[in-house]
Amino acid sequence: MKETKSVAYSYLIKQLPSATVYLNTNFEVVHASDNWIKTFDLCKTNVFGKRLHKLVKHANKKWLQSLDNCLLGQRQEGLASFIDNQGNEKWLEYTHLPWYDEGENIVGVIMQVDDVSESYGDQMEIERLQTLLQSQSEIAKVGSWEYDLVTEKLTWCQMTKAIHEVPKDYDPSIEAGIQFYKQGHSRNTIAMLVHKALVEGVAFREKLQIITAGGREKWVLAAGKPFLKNGKVTRLIGTFQDIDEQVKSEIKTKESEKLLNTLVDNLPLNVYVKDKESRKILVNKAECDYLGVHDKEELIGKSDFDLYDKNIAEISRNEDIEVMRTLVPIIGKETVSIKKDETATTFLTSKIPLLGINGNATGIIGLSMDISHLKEKENELRNLINVTAVQNKKLINFAHIVSHNLRSHTANFSMLLNFLIQEKDEAEKQRIVDMLTNASDNLMQTLEDLNEVVSISTNVNVERKRLNVNQQLAKIEQNLSALLKEHEVEIVNEIHDSTVIWSVPAYFDSILLNLITNAVKYRHPKRKPVIRFSVSKRKDYTIFSIEDNGLGIDMAKNGEKLFGMYKTFHDNNDSRGIGLYITKNQVEAMGGDIRATSELNKGTTFNVFFKNEDSK
Amino acid sequence: MKTVNSIYIVDDDPITVFGISKMLGCLVECDDITSFQNGKEALDDIHNRLTSKKGLPDVIFLDINMPILDGWGFLEEFLKLDIPKKIRINIVTSSIDPADYEKWLRYKKTTHHFIDYKNKPIFKIEAQDIEHIDLAS
Repeated sequence: MKETKSVAYSYLIKQLPSATVYLNTNFEVVHASDNWIKTFDLCKTNVFGKRLHKLVKHANKKWLQSLDNCLLGQRQEGLASFIDNQGNEKWLEYTHLPWYDEGENIVGVIMQVDDVSESYGDQMEIERLQTLLQSQSEIAKVGSWEYDLVTEKLTWCQMTKAIHEVPKDYDPSIEAGIQFYKQGHSRNTIAMLVHKALVEGVAFREKLQIITAGGREKWVLAAGKPFLKNGKVTRLIGTFQDIDEQVKSEIKTKESEKLLNTLVDNLPLNVYVKDKESRKILVNKAECDYLGVHDKEELIGKSDFDLYDKNIAEISRNEDIEVMRTLVPIIGKETVSIKKDETATTFLTSKIPLLGINGNATGIIGLSMDISHLKEKENELRNLINVTAVQNKKLINFAHIVSHNLRSHTANFSMLLNFLIQEKDEAEKQRIVDMLTNASDNLMQTLEDLNEVVSISTNVNVERKRLNVNQQLAKIEQNLSALLKEHEVEIVNEIHDSTVIWSVPAYFDSILLNLITNAVKYRHPKRKPVIRFSVSKRKDYTIFSIEDNGLGIDMAKNGEKLFGMYKTFHDNNDSRGIGLYITKNQVEAMGGDIRATSELNKGTTFNVFFKNEDSK
Repeated sequence: MKTVNSIYIVDDDPITVFGISKMLGCLVECDDITSFQNGKEALDDIHNRLTSKKGLPDVIFLDINMPILDGWGFLEEFLKLDIPKKIRINIVTSSIDPADYEKWLRYKKTTHHFIDYKNKPIFKIEAQDIEHIDLAS
């Protein structure tokens, strides 16, 4: 009987429309409806007598715990999830009831479940999207608003309220909303846009300023879109975004850019930025001026090969590549740039690698300072220093000559006087006195020589005149006629009668006199002396040449001593070694030069360089 | 009185030549004191003595500033000659140019001859100035 009852129950329960299961106190299945078995996807399993925990895998703990509570006589309801055999998560709404027998004893649990996976999933998705929207709205500071034309109600979301800095329970109106906009351009614009949206159905999107309830100025992006029904606007919905930071940073960026441009354009340097291919992507005003263009755009995208001489461009490109490869900047390198029109400029150039975000070079920043005028000054100074150094050397040399020559005489005085004091013999005494007289005359002569040299060196600015060379020569030849006749000197003059040189007259006479007498003095004993005069012109100089066929000088040996003071190279009693020294001093005092070429036993040529009147 | 075989005085200034000769007269017995007006004359005489196997001078008084061939020019040529005998050379000059002094130091180092350096004026020649140093060799 009991058996039959049980089977009958079972059969009844099997057909229940709801998913129902009867579990004993061990949570083993006693009865189950087909729907329950289907819900848990257990059609292929014999569920009866099996523990629920075995049948349903990955059930959540709360659900299983509620079964225990049910055995204590409590009804349980809730939402549970488990993973079905396909691995899908399923959501169930469950009701657990204690199962009583006739004697009111709890013998198990009656479980009813309802598969809510589908509806629950949708709700989850909505929640997810809402959460996403909320977080996005928070991150981007985008709020929303809605205006219903029928009810004339304006709704603000929390973010919109937060942007306006109004309390959460603030109830906005369209008029109040417009009042938030900054008086003037912003308010006029929004009023006009809202009006147009309402009347003409035109959507809007505009950057405007509001004044928040807290009194702060803010940039916002207000956008609205009308919705129409039967051709009439019924609703406006829109977004409201706080873009204050963006706009302010944009303004800041613009200001920084303006500052940078002002700075870069007004630097007294050529500034440029090149890309990896060495094409200019930024230039400043100075660079434009240097390259002779009015508009920066004319230089953008140009490489050095477009702007400079090919060799210069190649050098520059190689430098660029090297700087970008090694990331080691070139600082203050002296370079000469030659433009296509062949004008050369000396620059102090720096090239600094421009680094990208990844730390690699994306180009070059170049700074060039035009130091051409400084270079010129430097060269002038260097020349001046050279001149000074040469003059210094000459002075020291001269000081030693003076000291030597004076000392040699005074030393003789001292020595002779010393002898004189000790000498007893009268005849010897007389001899010593004669020598003292001689020494004194020599000293006078030396002083005269030195005076003459000093007067030349100090008269740097003696007035020069234009002198006709042949006229001067004729005068000197006249003075030396006795000497020239005596030695049967042949004069060959190749100078044109109109030839003029620019010289101090007295110096020119002295130079001619010296050189001609030298030619005669050092004539070759075995031939008739011939002296040849000629003149040649150079850019800044007129060169007077005098060639003889005399003894000649071993230039390798004595070349540097030739114009020295008291240097003589021949056994000639009337050479004092002062003539050429004075000649050289006179020539140099006039900014000229004197050079000799000679071959032993062939003859000597002196070339005297006279500066031209129009030379610098 | 010391005895020295041969002495050269090389100077273009007759007063100096006279002075040195006079001072030597009180100091040494020497039958062969020769003076030369420049380095070239002295050098020519050295060459003559070498070819004719005559004795070379023991002491040379040498001026620096002379025409044709100056003292340094003479030294340059003289030190090239193969002369085993150690000769004393006294440079006597009025120059106070440090370059001359340094030249002397350089020459002094590069030769086995003994080179001394004196500034004019000289009032007395000491015995050690004509030391005939060639003793052992």
